Amino acid sequence: MASRPRLRRFALMAHVVSSVGWLGAVIIVLALAFTGLSSDDPQTLRGVYLAMDLTAWSVLVPLALASLLTGILQALGTKWGLFRHYWVVVKLLITAFATVVLLLYTQTLDHLASVAAQTTLSEEDLGALQTPSVVLHSAIALLLLLVATALAVFKPAGLTAYGWRKQHEQRAPRPAVDSAS
Amino acid sequence: MADPIPPARDHVAGHEPEARPGVPRWVKVFVVIAIVAIVTVVIINLAGGGDHGPGRHMSGSGADGTTAALSIAGATVVGGHRSPPAGHTS
Repeated sequence: MASRPRLRRFALMAHVVSSVGWLGAVIIVLALAFTGLSSDDPQTLRGVYLAMDLTAWSVLVPLALASLLTGILQALGTKWGLFRHYWVVVKLLITAFATVVLLLYTQTLDHLASVAAQTTLSEEDLGALQTPSVVLHSAIALLLLLVATALAVFKPAGLTAYGWRKQHEQRAPRPAVDSAS
Repeated sequence: MADPIPPARDHVAGHEPEARPGVPRWVKVFVVIAIVAIVTVVIINLAGGGDHGPGRHMSGSGADGTTAALSIAGATVVGGHRSPPAGHTS
């Protein structure tokens, strides 16, 4: 399923842009989360969690889905394949896991944003907004995305059983074509 | 991901290995780290009551019936510890 070089480069660019954009957005969310954790100013907390929720839905989720989709297309469109090399499989698992956790975690971000949007906050609300949960989740997301980036850059060796079989099939001498047939 | 595949990465060119090479060490290390991380998260969740979701962060504000309230616009806390803005003497 090898695609044309120009199309392949365009797909690669889309994958790199979406992945790097996702990484950058996670860093932004991490900075916001640290601000929310360390600040006890209600206006700051309100701005932090409203901005975080907006960032999640308008940047994080689209870029995560784009990164996952373009990554799969990229793998299928090249000779690397999706299940032939361990680094591709591991990277796919990391990206899929991070995307699923992100989609689930948007519920928490929605909830925090709805609390922050209230005109009046109780002390308990303020305490809930100063949760370390967002820092923890975004830090782990950043770590996972850095590992995925490292895998894409270094491409550590290792063929899966499927990849090894496919490579053997491709390198096996083809049967001679019978001129009479 | 679209870089050309170096032929010497997984085996020596022109010398096909007889048996399939085993799982690389880096994959084994990754799997061990992933399992440890997952088990740690499960233990933390179980120790914390098993509630891992939006509800975990809120526990019914105002349920104790106190009048503690904070106005974001005025940055005023009633019955709390925050300092009142200038001009207020609550």
